[in-house]
Amino acid sequence: MRPILLSGHERALTQIKYNRDGDLLFSVSKDQQICVWFAHNGERLGTYHGHQGAIWTIDVDPTSTILASGSADNTIRLWEIKTGRLLKTWDFPTAVKRVEFSEDGSKLLGVTEKRMGHLGTIVVLDIKLDVDAEQSDEKAMTIVCEDSKATVAGWSYLSKYIIAGHEDGSVSQFDGKNGDLLYNIPIHELNQPITDLQWSHDRTYFITASKDKTSKLITAKDLEVLKTYPADTPLNSATITRKKDFVILGGGQAAMDVTTTSARQGKFEARFYHKIFESEIGRVRGHFGPLNTVAADPTGKSYASGGEDGYVRIHHFDKGYFDFMYEVERERQNKLNQQQQQTISA
Amino acid sequence: MAAVQQKHDWADDDELEETSTELPPPQKITNKDGSTTIIEYRLNDNGQKVKTTRRIRYITHREVVNPRVAERKSWTKFGLSVKDGAGPAPDTTSVGENIIFKPSFNWRQEAKDESKDPNAQAMKDKLKDKKVKCRICNGEHFTARCPYKDTMAPIGEAGAAADVAASAADEAAAASQGAAGAGKKGSYVPPALRGAGGAAAAGERMGGKYGERDDLATLRVTNVSEMAEEQELRDMFERFGRVTRVFLAKDRDTGLAKGFAFISFADRSDAVKACAKMDGFGFRHLILRVEFAKKAA
Repeated sequence: MRPILLSGHERALTQIKYNRDGDLLFSVSKDQQICVWFAHNGERLGTYHGHQGAIWTIDVDPTSTILASGSADNTIRLWEIKTGRLLKTWDFPTAVKRVEFSEDGSKLLGVTEKRMGHLGTIVVLDIKLDVDAEQSDEKAMTIVCEDSKATVAGWSYLSKYIIAGHEDGSVSQFDGKNGDLLYNIPIHELNQPITDLQWSHDRTYFITASKDKTSKLITAKDLEVLKTYPADTPLNSATITRKKDFVILGGGQAAMDVTTTSARQGKFEARFYHKIFESEIGRVRGHFGPLNTVAADPTGKSYASGGEDGYVRIHHFDKGYFDFMYEVERERQNKLNQQQQQTISA
Repeated sequence: MAAVQQKHDWADDDELEETSTELPPPQKITNKDGSTTIIEYRLNDNGQKVKTTRRIRYITHREVVNPRVAERKSWTKFGLSVKDGAGPAPDTTSVGENIIFKPSFNWRQEAKDESKDPNAQAMKDKLKDKKVKCRICNGEHFTARCPYKDTMAPIGEAGAAADVAASAADEAAAASQGAAGAGKKGSYVPPALRGAGGAAAAGERMGGKYGERDDLATLRVTNVSEMAEEQELRDMFERFGRVTRVFLAKDRDTGLAKGFAFISFADRSDAVKACAKMDGFGFRHLILRVEFAKKAA
């Protein structure tokens, strides 16, 4: 496969995100601009201007009309995807590290940083999915994280829960309606922050990435750890692929930590693991800095990674990827095919 | 027409650039093999004209997408991309080199084989079941580190060859002990002296043609007349015994003798006799000086 290199950013990427149809790819970096690209050929559709600081996070609503971004200038902004118009700005006391739309796009959560005497919070905003509608200034809900600040958060299926990953390595489940803390379970190693949280397509389970060099697959309902994917480097991002049962992990020795650790190599590769069997099945190299973010195309045809080096690389999988199967998977496939033929002939 | 355009001489190009100030219009040439050559001109930051030649093959790839995606494809560009034309802009989008990605459940093993240098791997395989063994006491250390190094002699020379695991430093030390005698550990040993013994050293010397000659029965004859011939010398020395070789040094250009020669006898006793008789012998107008040849160092 030939990766498409997108060089629209001048600084390290912080997050990339596909829209639900998988045709647009949004990327944000520390250089204060948002780019949107066509995923199939890497053509840039446009940029969104207005943020005054590094942009940490981005999300796109399910209908691909509105874009939300959170930045170190202490704002969450809404944009019209089609034209690049700024629709709404919410101000917060501290930087916004994560935004995510609920499954239906009617709510938006934002994770704010713990800084300057302010505790880390998770705020929920009501969103009207119309570019011309007046968005409300009021916060629908605010959850204060008193123990350890939340680094990532997301909506579970039907907006039933808000799941948050914390700096101390624990994962919390909050009620999606009233914000009550239901569970807080130490999942990753103590004080190894959770760096990413991405959902499966039906939002019943999610994958976390942590600096403790592991990634875990966890159910949304009772925070049960289903699978663990060990890596040999701190992880910054993890995603679940469609069509094939794989997960992709991205990470690498951060440049500032290279001198303080024994690892010689940067390990700036995207790692592919089999989702079920938990074994590593391959790596894709290319970046010359740690991978800050990885995203899988919801159609399963490609994946993209954004690195500390300022590049986004879109990889469209070729045939070998789709053909790959474990022996047990192949046997099962053959059995299913046989059964199908029998029912047809009967 | 395409062929003519492609054979455009660079010298002509230069001339063209100097004379015209306007940018030539972009050209589109359809090649015979179905690809298209696009030549574009632009001015760079220094005001220099830059010619860009791109060869593109268009492959139509049909895909059915849902109407929402199709609609988005027709959106006009905005922000920094507002001036970009249709298709990916070369300043933001490029295609990387091909990556071969084949998922495999024994990926780890394969990657390991690939990553290691094949030579290093081969060496490792060779040394896998070899152990470090001292040639003096058969202990598990390098010979150079042996506590009995100064007091005991090695257990037979054959051990040296078998001991592959011995380090380079160890080998050098062994060589210097074997050939040069009083070599210090780790000191430089000239190539001529490397190797286990005198025989090996001789065998490795350059000029193998004379390598096997027996220096013990060779006489060096000096003060030979310029006009001397090899055959004359052979006749003179033949009377003491069988002469295996006569070498008369001659000047390459003039063909005249340089004044010295080597005579090898089959038997050393003959050589001794010849040495005694012929030293001081008057040959042509000069008095010969004959002595045993010294071994070349």
